[in-house]
Amino acid sequence: MPTANKEQIEARMTEALESFGADRDQIKREADWESLDIDSLDLVELAQIVEEEYGVKMREEDMKELKTVGDAVDFVAERAGS
Amino acid sequence: MILEGKRLLITGLMTKQSIAYAAAEQAQQQGAEIVLTSFGRARRLTERAARGLPETPDVLELDVNEPDDFAALADELGSRWGALDGVLHAIAFAPEDALGGRFLETPPESAVQAFTTSAYSLKALAASLAPLLEEAEAGSVVGLDFDASVAWPVYDWMGVAKAALEAVARYLARDLGPRGVRVNLVSAGPIETAAAGGIPGFDKLAAEWQRRAPLAWDTGDPSPVAGTVCYLMSDLSRGVTGEIVHVDGGYHAMGAPLA
Repeated sequence: MPTANKEQIEARMTEALESFGADRDQIKREADWESLDIDSLDLVELAQIVEEEYGVKMREEDMKELKTVGDAVDFVAERAGS
Repeated sequence: MILEGKRLLITGLMTKQSIAYAAAEQAQQQGAEIVLTSFGRARRLTERAARGLPETPDVLELDVNEPDDFAALADELGSRWGALDGVLHAIAFAPEDALGGRFLETPPESAVQAFTTSAYSLKALAASLAPLLEEAEAGSVVGLDFDASVAWPVYDWMGVAKAALEAVARYLARDLGPRGVRVNLVSAGPIETAAAGGIPGFDKLAAEWQRRAPLAWDTGDPSPVAGTVCYLMSDLSRGVTGEIVHVDGGYHAMGAPLA
């Protein structure tokens, strides 16, 4: 699995969230899912992307703790060995 | 290869954690040719997960609440294969207020929605595909169940819908048996799928399994459930219909926690 730094992970997540219909200008570390119009189905897809590309499993119970874009980026960065 | 040459339709594959994913994977390994269904926004997820299968199958549209979709699906499968050897029903949904411990307050519309999407849909799927299943040598319909003979914490109207699913399967077995089509359910132990994530209190249920099931039960591994699905799709089960096979580590047979 390729290592990735936090900036790369944030860029990849921003791209994914934008593809789910979130407004690019609104995608910031402190933005929460609701403000981005990201629902549970989008989060399931995000978890699949993260697992495929970084080998990081985001389980349902982890997801519940991750309220913002920044939370998710940090979660993945910590576990992706960057 | 117990499914050599079988043509199977698999619904409900959303992620790699789906029971339907494990079933699709094992079916292909056992020689089956498969087609998936998905709908609406879940389709992107289905297509992403499908790329991880040994062979990437086509994904057809099926919203079980859209009557027209069934006819279109049957037409497409008819022109593709002319007959269908088996179909896996892995579809369930309950609105938020029908699950999670508010059983006494759930409005009738929500209870009905759980029933229609999770139980009636087995009839809708089986009936629309029956002409194709009949064309096969031994058509098989398999559905996914969670033991509905008892009440569970938080499962609420989904549990009622599963009880209905069990009854629907028996009546389908009655009506399709004379046409050479079998109908069976697999009653699975708790598996950590995207759907299970929507069940509040799932963790407590999973923990209870560790205390009671005599066989080790891994909530992260749907492959034992998928194995039984493949058996029920295969000719090895040609004398079996109207049956509920428990793939739950033996939980259902125990009267109390083991320790």
